[in-house]
Amino acid sequence: MNYQVLGKPRDRVDGRLKVTGSALYAGDRHPENLAYGYLVTSCVAKGSIRSMDTSKAEQGPGVVAVYTPFRPLKLYAPLSREEGGGPGDEQPPLQDRGIRFYGQIIGLVVANSFEQARDAAALIRTEYDPAKPVLTWDEGLPHAFAPKSIEEEGSTATVLAPGVTHIDDVIRQAPVSIEVTYREPMNHHNPMEPHATTAIWDGDRLEIYEATQGIISHRRTVASVLGVDEDRVHLLCPFVGGGFGCKGSMWMHSPVTAAAARDLKRPVKTVLTREQMFTLVGHRPALIQQVALAATPDGALQAVKHEVQSTVATSKVFIEAAAHRTSRFLYKSPNIQVSQKLVPLDVGPPTFMRAPGVAPGMFALECAMDELAVKLNLDPVELRMRNYAEIFPGKNVPWSSKNLAECYRIGAEKFGWSQRRSEPGVRLEGEWLAGVGMASALYPAHRGGASAKVRLLADGTAEVSSATQDLGTGTWTVLAMVGAEYLGLPVDRVRPALGDSMFPPAPVSGGSQTVASVGTAVRKAAESAIQKLIRLAVSNAKSPMHGLAPETVSYDAGYLAADNRRVAFADVLNAVDRGAVEAVESIDPLSHDGRYAYHSFGAQYCEVKVNRYTAEVRVQRVTTVMDIGQVVNLKTARSQVMGGVVFGIGLALLEQSLLETGSGRFANANMSEYLVATNADVPYIDVAFVEKPDLVFSPVGARGVGEIGISGIPAAVANAVYNATGKRVREFPITPEKLLLGESGSPRISVI
Amino acid sequence: MRPFRFTAVTSLDQLGPPGPQTSFIAGGTTVVDLMKLEVMTPDELVAIDQLPLRGIREDAGGLRLGALETMSAVAAHPAVAGGYQVISESLLQSASAQLRNMATIGGNLLQRTRCSYFRDVHSACNKRVPGSGCPAITGENRMLAILGTSASCIATNPSDLAVALVVLDAQLRLRGTGGGVRTVPLRDFYLEPGDRPDRENVLQPGELITEVLVPRPAAGTKTGYVKVRDRASYEFALTSAAVVLNMDGDRVRKAEVAVGGVGTKPWLLPQVGAALNGRALDRTNLEAAASLAANGAKRYPDNGFKVELIQRTVVRAFSRLGGLV
Ligand SMILES: Cc1cc2nc3c(=O)[nH]c(=O)nc-3n(C[C@H](O)[C@H](O)[C@H](O)COP(=O)(O)OP(=O)(O)OC[C@H]3O[C@@H](n4cnc5c(N)ncnc54)[C@H](O)[C@@H]3O)c2cc1C
Ligand code: SF4
Repeated sequence: MNYQVLGKPRDRVDGRLKVTGSALYAGDRHPENLAYGYLVTSCVAKGSIRSMDTSKAEQGPGVVAVYTPFRPLKLYAPLSREEGGGPGDEQPPLQDRGIRFYGQIIGLVVANSFEQARDAAALIRTEYDPAKPVLTWDEGLPHAFAPKSIEEEGSTATVLAPGVTHIDDVIRQAPVSIEVTYREPMNHHNPMEPHATTAIWDGDRLEIYEATQGIISHRRTVASVLGVDEDRVHLLCPFVGGGFGCKGSMWMHSPVTAAAARDLKRPVKTVLTREQMFTLVGHRPALIQQVALAATPDGALQAVKHEVQSTVATSKVFIEAAAHRTSRFLYKSPNIQVSQKLVPLDVGPPTFMRAPGVAPGMFALECAMDELAVKLNLDPVELRMRNYAEIFPGKNVPWSSKNLAECYRIGAEKFGWSQRRSEPGVRLEGEWLAGVGMASALYPAHRGGASAKVRLLADGTAEVSSATQDLGTGTWTVLAMVGAEYLGLPVDRVRPALGDSMFPPAPVSGGSQTVASVGTAVRKAAESAIQKLIRLAVSNAKSPMHGLAPETVSYDAGYLAADNRRVAFADVLNAVDRGAVEAVESIDPLSHDGRYAYHSFGAQYCEVKVNRYTAEVRVQRVTTVMDIGQVVNLKTARSQVMGGVVFGIGLALLEQSLLETGSGRFANANMSEYLVATNADVPYIDVAFVEKPDLVFSPVGARGVGEIGISGIPAAVANAVYNATGKRVREFPITPEKLLLGESGSPRISVI
Repeated sequence: MRPFRFTAVTSLDQLGPPGPQTSFIAGGTTVVDLMKLEVMTPDELVAIDQLPLRGIREDAGGLRLGALETMSAVAAHPAVAGGYQVISESLLQSASAQLRNMATIGGNLLQRTRCSYFRDVHSACNKRVPGSGCPAITGENRMLAILGTSASCIATNPSDLAVALVVLDAQLRLRGTGGGVRTVPLRDFYLEPGDRPDRENVLQPGELITEVLVPRPAAGTKTGYVKVRDRASYEFALTSAAVVLNMDGDRVRKAEVAVGGVGTKPWLLPQVGAALNGRALDRTNLEAAASLAANGAKRYPDNGFKVELIQRTVVRAFSRLGGLV
């Protein structure tokens, strides 16, 4: 494929705004007469509020209003996802006195400054009638239940070879098998930018600045909770400081803030604190996963069985589909069974977090594959190649495009995998033990319905707009690049616009779908705008091409050409006295007609060192090769993969949300104790792509890159830790104490 | 944050007797943080950062550090980095570059515990509200202490610098509200929690740390700091060890070690040093000495691993200094 613009590295068009601090985020707005909201949250996990004494708070300096369940703002239940909404929490706050989780919104203080609101909120005295919450696996497991369906299959999905009645029979009789259990804690997204809402009413019209991954669904949902027509809500979100999923839903601070602004007839802004972000905007559930693999002595899988238990909130079901999105199809096996149960806890609502289902599922599956490789005495890459799936197991359809084998091969070469020593615990380098590990990567490809507008202007430039959003991933630049590609213009002549609900609707930026969805709409709108230009050029009497048959006129690189004439589109527009010609086009969501499966794949290799005395793990280098279809912007695509790898390092080694089992509070709800990787934890990351445009999937050939980078790294790190030390840690994060415990569980002092 | 008065002083004479709720502010990285959380609620802040308590000097007796010197300035000073590596290393592995540029030596020694219940005003905590209870003993205590704990409190002292200064036997110069000065060895400065975890040190109300005096180690002494933590930077210690080693040929003339992350105060381990003195520095002797490191330790549900980890940390620190790895 010969692209002029796509696939090349390109600086962000909004880079300068970002680094000079002139990009204004939702919390940076200061409309005239602004008041500041501060959320009051519950300090018990379950029960009800008996009373709230707000008298001191109301008398606090600068306090404008204090809203509580005893002095509520009317809010309605949000539209569901099926109705085009996108609620994170389905219950609007302040409408009753019930407590469903620690940190739930139970009030909003509005004052003339943020500090006044915060300080007044601290003066509210709340009495509860607490009930005993369910907060541990042991307490929750008796209430475990299976959801109706997961990923369009049953909560248990089974593929069995002819004659097999139960997968366990195969596992029991197989020459080689392993059965292992993996655990991981809850995680929190912690984007740098906190959620923020600034609401400004003008009569019955609402202008609202939000930090959201979905302008259109957020607008619809907030309108439904406020009980207003969404057409009267104008939502703006030009920049987002990271989302990772926790801005993919509308959370309740948004309508509470807007309702207060309506009540007070004054703009109100609420910015969440870091601690509030641990309970009010979602988390990744905790999981216990059991994987059983059975194989022939030469490594052909006979059975893959993957059982998942994941936590949910008592008040909100969210399925972290760890097995259905991974083990269900990654390897060819005559017998496959994936199943999942949900374990309800009295915690805030869980939600999607970067590579939902996939990141934890691949930890379990890809570590289990490594354990099997060791048992079979096979190279882990070879084991994967021996079980390479050419078709989606049980459905017998091919992938729209799959180049995973190439990823393994290129990755192994770049990394120097052949130098690996398969015997664990033998590479001692000073006070460190070194080891290498690998894992596959994957992520489903999504393409939603989207629309875009393309305008060709009389000054020779073009505009591309869509009500999509840029999470920091580079969507601004992608819009300009796709527009430039299909208009045949240099990128700097194309002005992108997004982040405004007035533009043509676009889907939530989740599931790594924005480039494929919006990019496709932009391509269609660009082609349509060119057709309109040609029609205008031949039909308008003042046009230099008037009277020509439209099919004889072609468009190339900003010019219309016919016979031997070449006219710039700006000249056509000026001749006919038009400021612009424009087209709006929509595309439907990708139809799953059952002919193909759609996934991106990759291979990830890493080297770690583990201190032989004190067992800290440090990642030394990473090689990652991704098959994501056409790369649109090589520079930001690399950044996405790198960011995913950094996330994966955090998952493997650092991140854990400590849920206090007595209170339901997260004990480390701050950036000092919820550990994400620092620069010192991140080594050189070698990123490569297998560039094979997937035109079956999307007309721009791209499948999306936002999430896949995280998917294999946690297992690759864990496998490298095994290779370095000879110890399997099956519980994330891999912290020193988990490596130190002797096999018997008894600590001892000789070096590991 | 509660409303408070703010005054700034430029000379020591301006310091009057403190009110019951007066607090000094130096770099502010502890005090402002805790005021925002309403863990500290002073009604008056006295800014001391303009006081003439600066200067990093070395003379025959040793090192003199003005209490208002920043962590980064001390860490980078040639005299410190040259002759007192354990101080530089402990500082450079503390906090972040931005914090080290703001935070002072005096403030560092008086920072408060990171126990998450102490920092949450909705939780009980004997240190914050005496008599209210200690949820950490049965709750989240991975980061907390195994040495010097009591039934009232198991919080760790989080300062890295203090561990280094304890092993070097540093002294604090203190100035009382009446202008009287006294010198207190850092080894005697901190208090174990006992049944009064709200009392953390021997500082009197209004008393100021003016200077830190560090005796010069004997010629040929090596010092170093090893900090064990989950991530490579910007985290408090799981365990740490500040070690001093003076060799006589292949025998240890004098070894000293203090440890962090495990004690309710920076914890000196004289028994470990004593077990090494006069012996060859080899693995067997090191492991035997280090096995005494956790003497008297009490394990709590999440932090029992520190009993082993601290022994390993001590072995690692001496091995590094002694060139065994
Ligand atoms: C995110 C984070 C991470 C950190 N990580 C580490 C770490 O890894 N290791 C580590 O050791 N520290 C760490 N710290 C703590 C940091 O080192 C301290 O906050 C800092 O040293 C305090 O110094 P300051 O000058 O800012 O003190 P301030 O906040 O100004 O004061 C602290 C206390 O000391 C009192 N005080 C200050 N100076 C004097 C004086 N001269 N005489 C008497 N009283 C005085 C104040 O009244 C106050 O009570 C971290 C802090 C943060 C916020
Ligand atoms: S350990 Fe100390 S600081 Fe922590 S809760 Fe108990 S009393 Fe408070």
